[in-house]
Amino acid sequence: MVKILAKRVSRQKQLLAASLALAVSCTLVGMSQVASAADGLPELEINEAKAELGKRLFFDKRISGDAAISCATCHVPENGYAHPDALSPGYPGNGHFRNSIGLINTAQKSIWLHDGRLGTNLNDVTREMITEDYIMNMDMRIMQERIKQDPKYLEMFEAAGYGEPSNGSVRKAIPEYLKTLASKGVPYDSGSMSDSAKAGQAVFAEKGCSSCHSGAMFTDGKAHNTGVPENHDIWLDPMNHQAFIAFTMFQGIENYMALKRDPGAHTQWKKADLSNMGTFQTPSLRELTQTAPYMHNGMIATLEDVVDFYNAGGGEDSNKDAAMRPLEMTDQEKSDLVAFLESLSGEALTGPEYVWSEAYPDEYPVIEDWLNQSN
Amino acid sequence: MSTLKQQSLSSLLTATFVIGAVAGMSAPVFADVGPAALAPLDSIAMPIPSDNKQTDAKIALGKSLFFDPRLGGDASISCSSCHDPEQGWAWSEDFSRGYPGTVHWRNSQTIINSQYMSRQFWAGSAASGEKQAPSAAKGGVAGNGENDIMEARLALIPEYVAAFNEVFGDEWPLIGNAWRAIASYERTLVQTDTPLDNYLKGDASALSEEQLRGKAVFEGKGGCIACHNGALATNEEYVNIGVPPNKRWEEDGLAQITFRFEQYAKGQTEKGYRSAKSDWGLYYRTKNAWDKGKFRVPSLRYTLYTAPYMHNGNYYTMEEVVDFYDAGGMDEEGRTTLFPENKDARIQPLGLSDDEKSDLVAFLEAFSGEEMIIDKPALPEYQALFTEAELKEVKK
Repeated sequence: MVKILAKRVSRQKQLLAASLALAVSCTLVGMSQVASAADGLPELEINEAKAELGKRLFFDKRISGDAAISCATCHVPENGYAHPDALSPGYPGNGHFRNSIGLINTAQKSIWLHDGRLGTNLNDVTREMITEDYIMNMDMRIMQERIKQDPKYLEMFEAAGYGEPSNGSVRKAIPEYLKTLASKGVPYDSGSMSDSAKAGQAVFAEKGCSSCHSGAMFTDGKAHNTGVPENHDIWLDPMNHQAFIAFTMFQGIENYMALKRDPGAHTQWKKADLSNMGTFQTPSLRELTQTAPYMHNGMIATLEDVVDFYNAGGGEDSNKDAAMRPLEMTDQEKSDLVAFLESLSGEALTGPEYVWSEAYPDEYPVIEDWLNQSN
Repeated sequence: MSTLKQQSLSSLLTATFVIGAVAGMSAPVFADVGPAALAPLDSIAMPIPSDNKQTDAKIALGKSLFFDPRLGGDASISCSSCHDPEQGWAWSEDFSRGYPGTVHWRNSQTIINSQYMSRQFWAGSAASGEKQAPSAAKGGVAGNGENDIMEARLALIPEYVAAFNEVFGDEWPLIGNAWRAIASYERTLVQTDTPLDNYLKGDASALSEEQLRGKAVFEGKGGCIACHNGALATNEEYVNIGVPPNKRWEEDGLAQITFRFEQYAKGQTEKGYRSAKSDWGLYYRTKNAWDKGKFRVPSLRYTLYTAPYMHNGNYYTMEEVVDFYDAGGMDEEGRTTLFPENKDARIQPLGLSDDEKSDLVAFLEAFSGEEMIIDKPALPEYQALFTEAELKEVKK
């Protein structure tokens, strides 16, 4: 049973728990894993004040360049913190070229984004999302000053132990909030799977799904090419294509103007033989019922279609992973497999403990007696 | 008549000065010879960079780009948003409107005649129009655009692809050439037929009696000519005339955000960031204490349409501006620059009578001709680069 226990204990108890954990293992720095569910995900210790601050920031449109979108614009709570469109909306003035990834359990990952281009931490991912011109297009110096203009933030940064608001602290607080987006009520984790799901679990192992979708997060953390068809809306809609051009130009992809396919993880390694073109990170299979459509470009609408895609041995691509081959599943096996995949999903995280529900101020309050205040 | 004599004498002195400078002789001190006289704008040539010649096609492209909001962050504002032809090719509030979600912290300056100036922006931070345009298009409280997305947008507009190819030989439009085209277009936005120009070129009837009296104040008791001289009505020096901080920083949260951001963005020290309560002007470029509160002397041309005035738009009418100078660089509440030690010694109470003030204001109007309103160009549209058939043919 996975719970965010730490959210319910006082800071004092957290400190105690941290000290105890530290006494047990001297390798822990800052964050300690206080428990490990048998088949679920390791539980993360969460600093409540920091996470609360991160929550307010996550839903705040003022942390985008023109103050028109928040993180939640593309990572919608009702959609498992993904977006129901095949391609993420992107920043106003442009579109996007990839599907928005669900954020539930994102803190359990060690590599992020469909092409895996960030493998450090969520602090870096947060920075990239806020500052990229086709995503939130925010000059973080302006963001910092906006935050300093909101007294509620001044209180919350202080309570979180960050002191004066800074863009560095924003990049810590949002990841702390993301830790709270942990699967809840997952039949697979609680051992309450249906018979069909259990049968599907056997299919999952037998048909080789688990060779890539492995571990507690059901991903090997590697990039593969499964032959997912390109989403032509990337190129047919200039709003999307401009984001794609800007991205591939910035990533140093050769001949990017002529590119008619998503290079995927090739952006990282740029192998001369192009053998990693079209490879994408194996996604987690958790919370899929909340995060349709599927694949890096949202090309597959339902889990049934996903299973059919794999059953056919994936799509066409000269770089397609050798493990991709027709699976010859029966209808029963397919529906059991879908049932298993569904059993990896839990409840929607849409309550006030996850979603910032208070209104943001319509205007930035003025700092009174400004001439006599230190900036 | 005496005006004409004075003008030719002054031209002679200016010519001597230029020759002297070229010959490497020590330049004469201006104070010794008096300021350059006002001169018709067409007496000087528009400077054209040797690497960005004017062509009709380039100017036409630059005009379209000037009005195109896709050269900005969220594709909602263009150069013309803050330099609106219907607002004097400027913005008719104290601070420029800024990027959506922000407000700027300085007054938007007119584009008209701007490309005669040797540097751009209030503190001269850009050396040319080619440098000014990207700085504005990319600045966080201005266009907030980034090169890669702006360049990507241009590539998906076939008319631009063709025009950049014709004008610059670009296979795909290069963003740097967009700024060249815009600067070329801006070099065409000049006004050389103001009443003052006509008068200086011999039409004695071009100025009214009132304006002629105002001209005498301008060149005499008012001392305006000391800085507002020559064909541009500015000597392009950086001067602290005593303009006090804009009160909006005390009253408007959004303006306070930008104020701090600018300190940060312009490389203030920690101490400066904490303590600044006004725009330090030229200091941000030089980091010399004596440059705090200095701004480039603006041209007086086209000012009939460019209110409000001063680097921070503190004054909405020319009458207020004249009162400010008459009081010795002080507003009606006695507020002045936060750096009085840098205030120019030439800024002293003038003791102008009401008649002298109104004459002066009347003369200042002679620096502007007809309002230059143009039809905004129809903008070319995006078009998909590939057809569906081409996309389907791709072998992976």
